[in-house]
Amino acid sequence: MPNAVIILAVILAALMMVVGGATGIRAFMSIILNFIVLFLNIALISWSFPAMAITIISSLIILAITIFMGSDDDRITQNAFYSSVLVLVVLVILIVLIKPHLMIQGFGNENNEDLEGMSLLIGIKFNDVMTSTMIISTLGAVAEAAIAIATGLEELIETTPDLDLAKIFHHGYDIGKEIIGTALNTLFFGFFGSFLGLFTWYVKLNYSFSEFFNNKIFAAEFSMILIGFIGVISTVPLTAWVIQFRQRHAEKHDSV
Amino acid sequence: MRWNKKLILFLGTIIVSVAIVFFVKNNAFIYNTPVGHVEDVQVLSKVLQEDNFGNKDYIVRQRLKIRILNGKQRNKLLNVNNEYSLSQATDLKYRTGQDVLLHFNYRKGHVAGTTITDLKRDVPLTILATIAISLLVLMGITGLRALFSLLLNTVLFFIAVEIDVQQEGFGVLAIFSILAGIFSLITLTLVLGWNKKMLVSFLTTVVGTFSAIIIGMIVFKITHNGGLHFETMEYVTQNPEPLFLAEIILGSLGAVMDESTDIIVSLAKLRKENPTISMKQLWISGRNIGKTIMGPLLNVLFMIFMSDTFSMMVLYLRNGNGWGYSFSMNMELGFVQSLISGIGIVLTVPIASWLVGIFFKKGAVRNA
Repeated sequence: MPNAVIILAVILAALMMVVGGATGIRAFMSIILNFIVLFLNIALISWSFPAMAITIISSLIILAITIFMGSDDDRITQNAFYSSVLVLVVLVILIVLIKPHLMIQGFGNENNEDLEGMSLLIGIKFNDVMTSTMIISTLGAVAEAAIAIATGLEELIETTPDLDLAKIFHHGYDIGKEIIGTALNTLFFGFFGSFLGLFTWYVKLNYSFSEFFNNKIFAAEFSMILIGFIGVISTVPLTAWVIQFRQRHAEKHDSV
Repeated sequence: MRWNKKLILFLGTIIVSVAIVFFVKNNAFIYNTPVGHVEDVQVLSKVLQEDNFGNKDYIVRQRLKIRILNGKQRNKLLNVNNEYSLSQATDLKYRTGQDVLLHFNYRKGHVAGTTITDLKRDVPLTILATIAISLLVLMGITGLRALFSLLLNTVLFFIAVEIDVQQEGFGVLAIFSILAGIFSLITLTLVLGWNKKMLVSFLTTVVGTFSAIIIGMIVFKITHNGGLHFETMEYVTQNPEPLFLAEIILGSLGAVMDESTDIIVSLAKLRKENPTISMKQLWISGRNIGKTIMGPLLNVLFMIFMSDTFSMMVLYLRNGNGWGYSFSMNMELGFVQSLISGIGIVLTVPIASWLVGIFFKKGAVRNA
């Protein structure tokens, strides 16, 4: 029996090649490489390696793959990478602070059927696994937003040679405003697409508002959307700041 | 003057946020279920455990001193026992200072026993929500527009889920296809305004998304769902395959809209500045814009779909399952969802260029 996964992967690779040429092939490769990193991330955590350290290393690799394989322009990719690393720092701090109060690790009553026959006493803290899930779920959106803003600003810098350095931050903010709506939508619909089943479950089984709002799985999904939003929004000032900083630095270098 | 306004907005947002969080922290009185505050925790015992796969874990029994915060039993103190493990797969380790939801077991009208049903999670969720909303409010009108679009889409989503449940899952694909159309109309109007660009973006989104779904359905058909385990979908209360397709449509919608607006806004501008530009040049420009954003966009969805499976993957791997089996039981559907979404994202590029060529006819672009 032919495997649907392989057929779909071949179709996607072919389309990406036809539409994007070399860039398209690189885009396809970035998905495959990111998948390998994700898989190793899980495997290492399941082998009791420290989850936080593993996740941060995986996150840096994923950001690098997504950003550097996405574009040819070195300045754009470097700016986007630095700013997304800064956003990653912000998000890790936020997640570490909020997670002890959310306690969304592991599984809910809604998973009971999937857990049948499983040993749950596996000696791995699901708390750590959840940290990994929360951090990694936002990486794509952060990288995408950082690339969009860095690209927009770079175009502006190239077309306006006498651009006032002090105003770069301001321009970055304006460009950020333009992309923020669509970037949030991408994230928002992405999440809705992954928990449509869960929501029909809540409605079908008549969860009360308090049951639903305090539910472990709902809290997990909802907090991940919100953390993703906060990540994407903070990409705007941080990218603008990184570009201003590096531009100022480069000019100082030139004048010496 | 402008500074003052900004400062007032900033301070106002912080004060309102703090007030909301403070209210939610003390909202036990609006709960129908009993809510308790953990006053003290005492560890009763700790027992080491080892399962068939050699995993070492432990189970701790804790006694919680709980003060009831609402209802007839308000301010009453009681002791409740709780068990948790090191892994905390389905149990929780409660700490002093937390609020919990309780269940009273009545016998002859008296409370005979109390169990903790769950943690009260509304406060941390409200904190995150107020941070996100405050950041959007501080972005000014653009942020407010984005916020409005998200709220409106959430309400519509719930209405559609309600309809789907009332239809017992029949026509789930039709319901969510129509919803996807409405979502794109609203979102694109809010992003682009009510004009021709919006219309072309809307058509691109619809055609792109549905072409991808049709390709996916054809592949499922000719392979007889080869290798796909729809039965492994989580939280399924209805026929899984159409639900899965509906999830793909919704999931990829944002990314496809993002891409089509990017391409169409640039191409329409190009055509306006240079009305004689040929179809071929439009296609090349569209390709150049599209090819750099399709990879990052697909990665956005890929991370969301994959990271959700981590806990289950770790559980499978520690239960002595191989990589291949664990993948096909947990990650495969997310992977397929990413692939089909990716096909939609790629197809959007030529569709957008083609539709701009048709709708923004040479010389007839004054209203664009």
